[in-house]
Amino acid sequence: MATYTFRRILQMIPLLLVISLIIYALTALQPGDPVDQLTQGNSQITPADIARLRAAYGLDQPIFLRYFYWLVQALHGDFGWSRSFSQPAFQYVFQDRLPNTLLLTVPALILALLVAVPLGIYSAVRQYSLPDYVLTFFSFLAFSTPVFWLGPMVLWLFAIYLPQVTNGVISLPPGGLGSPDLDPTTASTWAIIADKIKYLILPLCVLAFREIAVILRFMRANMLEVLSQDYVRTARAKGLTGGVVVYKHALRNAIIPIITLLGLAIPGLFGGAVITETVFSWPGMGRVILEGLVNKDFNVVLAALTFIALLTLIFSLLADLAYAAVDPRIRYD
Amino acid sequence: MKSTKTWLALSLLLLGAAQAGPANNSLVVGTSQEPPNIYDPWATNNLAISSEINGFMAASLISKDNEGDLYADIATTVPTLANGGYKLTKNAAGDVTSNSVTYSIRKDAKWSDGSAITPKDFQFWLKVEQDDRVPVPSRDPWDKAKITVNDADTFTITFNPPYLFADQVSPGLAPSASMAGAWNSFDSATAKLDSKTSGKAINDAWVKFISSFTTANNLPKVVSGAFKPTQWRSGNSLTMVRNANYWRTPKGGTDKYVQTVQYRFIPNTNTLKVNVLSGQIDTLSAVGVTFDQGLDLQRSQRDRYKTYFVPSATWEHIDINGFSNVQKVKDLDLDDKRVRQALLYSIDRAALTKALFQGKQQVSNTFVNPIAKLYKKDAKAYDFDPAKAKALFADAGWKPGADGILAKNGKKFSLNFTTTAGNATRERVQQILQAQWKAVGVDVNIQNYPSSVVFAQDFIGGGSNGKWDMLMYAWTADPSLEKGNLFSSTQIPTAGNGFAGQNEPGWKNAEYDKLWNQANTEFDLSARVKLFDRMQSIWADEVPSLPLYFRVNVYTKVPNLMNYTFSAYSLYPSWDAYEIGWSSKGAAEVNTQK
Repeated sequence: MATYTFRRILQMIPLLLVISLIIYALTALQPGDPVDQLTQGNSQITPADIARLRAAYGLDQPIFLRYFYWLVQALHGDFGWSRSFSQPAFQYVFQDRLPNTLLLTVPALILALLVAVPLGIYSAVRQYSLPDYVLTFFSFLAFSTPVFWLGPMVLWLFAIYLPQVTNGVISLPPGGLGSPDLDPTTASTWAIIADKIKYLILPLCVLAFREIAVILRFMRANMLEVLSQDYVRTARAKGLTGGVVVYKHALRNAIIPIITLLGLAIPGLFGGAVITETVFSWPGMGRVILEGLVNKDFNVVLAALTFIALLTLIFSLLADLAYAAVDPRIRYD
Repeated sequence: MKSTKTWLALSLLLLGAAQAGPANNSLVVGTSQEPPNIYDPWATNNLAISSEINGFMAASLISKDNEGDLYADIATTVPTLANGGYKLTKNAAGDVTSNSVTYSIRKDAKWSDGSAITPKDFQFWLKVEQDDRVPVPSRDPWDKAKITVNDADTFTITFNPPYLFADQVSPGLAPSASMAGAWNSFDSATAKLDSKTSGKAINDAWVKFISSFTTANNLPKVVSGAFKPTQWRSGNSLTMVRNANYWRTPKGGTDKYVQTVQYRFIPNTNTLKVNVLSGQIDTLSAVGVTFDQGLDLQRSQRDRYKTYFVPSATWEHIDINGFSNVQKVKDLDLDDKRVRQALLYSIDRAALTKALFQGKQQVSNTFVNPIAKLYKKDAKAYDFDPAKAKALFADAGWKPGADGILAKNGKKFSLNFTTTAGNATRERVQQILQAQWKAVGVDVNIQNYPSSVVFAQDFIGGGSNGKWDMLMYAWTADPSLEKGNLFSSTQIPTAGNGFAGQNEPGWKNAEYDKLWNQANTEFDLSARVKLFDRMQSIWADEVPSLPLYFRVNVYTKVPNLMNYTFSAYSLYPSWDAYEIGWSSKGAAEVNTQK
């Protein structure tokens, strides 16, 4: 196991280099650059200004040279300056935005797991029953409801319609990170937490809505597969109760593919939920990447994507190691 | 019952989202953009939202009001030829060889820390503006300016060669005392670096300098305007409070006007719209919702807020590729003015603006803004006339084929029409125009790209490589500083100049160029009006671009918010920041929104 883990870690280094090169090339080769952003619609800029700015931003250098400089800096922990956000890209992505994303996505995933896993089991055990049909209908509905539609709808419901009809009794804020009027230096901790929860509820529920559907379908399918296997039949034939068969024997095997799902979902959590964050004005990682791409602010995009690539590699390894922990048939030595 | 109570209790807990309004004499503004930095005196990011927010914090010597008239802010008076503050130096032939403007600083003009604003602050600003190491987007006209200090409060700016609008623009200023140490560090760190070969290293040092005064973590130390920043929560909001050291006082006293201004950054314009509808914000920034969303908001406004559509300085148009070296341009005769005129006669712009914009966006007949003094009111208008369009096409040899599409020498009149993908308004305009052109036998294929592709220099500037046939987009220019640069042949992008330059259609007209050269050195406004009259006649006859309309900016504001106004001259509602207030708190109305 230790040799396997060590080998996998060593393999990550060249892999990460290749990934960083691909990410760099994809961002640098797309049309337009930060100077085009400055000249857009501005009829005062002269050709000499454009040449001067390209040189100032180092955009007049060949792409390989630019990548090399970036890589050397990145290896020293310096991911360059973010032009759009006026901060070091690393600091902006990891100190400013990452905590916000985690605050939104981790509870959303936990909520999704807490709801979807039991429902998935229930749906599988009661296959073709009315609740199973209802849950299947719900999961397809959640799959096919785009966040860019659902988000504005819940905003309208909780920020405009319900406050009006309930005379303000039911009211949630229409997006944002927290009440801008709340001064964190003077407000009590409880006031800050309550305020944060108020702003978190809608984006968290919208984000969890789809996750629940994904995990529920996965859990139901896995459970059904396991329940039809011989050892489950044997267990039932031996007279074990339904609960013991399902929760002690079947669940342990049915949960293994969920580990894969989680292994890949966790780096996704760090990447943020681009649309949810945009709709709810939640300043997280997803918005950083989107805004970075739109504004040609490549340093933040590179910092965020490289980090997500690294996390994907790490969590893939952890998922593989977790298989061995939950499934005695899997051995790496 | 228990669950109802629980739900009610939870709802009550969740109540109390900050309500906008004048309760504490504050103002909440919603915007769809967040500036990268604020109060950068050299405006190195060039974003509209930065300029708007800076309006609250930055005073200037002179400025423009909604009518385009100049008023004095830091200066005691507006320098003019009549009062001797503005001077033209002429040679024996009567040509202006240089010009100068003399400003006197008000005795009570102070920085927010109480220190006096002095000519040194303008000299420092100009020194940095002119420094090759500083990434100012455009230095014009300050690259040819020089400051001479006359006494403790008075200084003269001389332009040599002369600058046409020297009396219309005001230099910036920067707090030389508080920035001096950091600037000296930048200076010594980069003194030995060559700006041509060490651009990135110099830029890194510049970033270090400027970011210590202009970012969310390093707010400006001192400012000159009516408000000063107190808190910037990145991604969420920026708060400014009234600057007690600002010198101009609104009618009835400062305490009757807004004391705190808070910008809320809501990048998704639909969410921004919800914030207006739910009453979370008092007003929208000029950088806010789209035109369509403005119409939606207007439909739902009742007496909660009012929606305004303010004519802007942004000109929407369609460039026609006029590069004769491009085979398709030759094949379709796009370099023949009769064909371009026919294309313009074929479309009903008046009906289009009525249908799409409820007539709120004015059809333009030339590239000059209708509110500018140089605008030619009777320029050739090209009112919708399909018969005339067909006759012009026929004149150029284009006859309808069996399928109704015009044809000549076995080639069909079929061309691509490009704009920025995802811009719903432009895409709708395209569809209407496509149908109108089809009616006269022109086959138009819509071929859109993301704005990052369209505005990449090798695409927009790639007319000579046949990158596009017709391209719809917009330019923004101050109506009082119109120079006619867009259509000078010196601005044609070519392989030789790395596809830089803004004359994207590649239009070249010797008479226009001659007049343009004359206009650039003509300091008499009435004479310049005459030159522009002819320039616009030539342009309107040749139509290198199809003029569409001047755009409007949409915003909303709640009733009883006073003096939050702007125009294509003043550009942003922050121009009159010190007089913004609530009538319920005693603020008097000085400016009304037109």
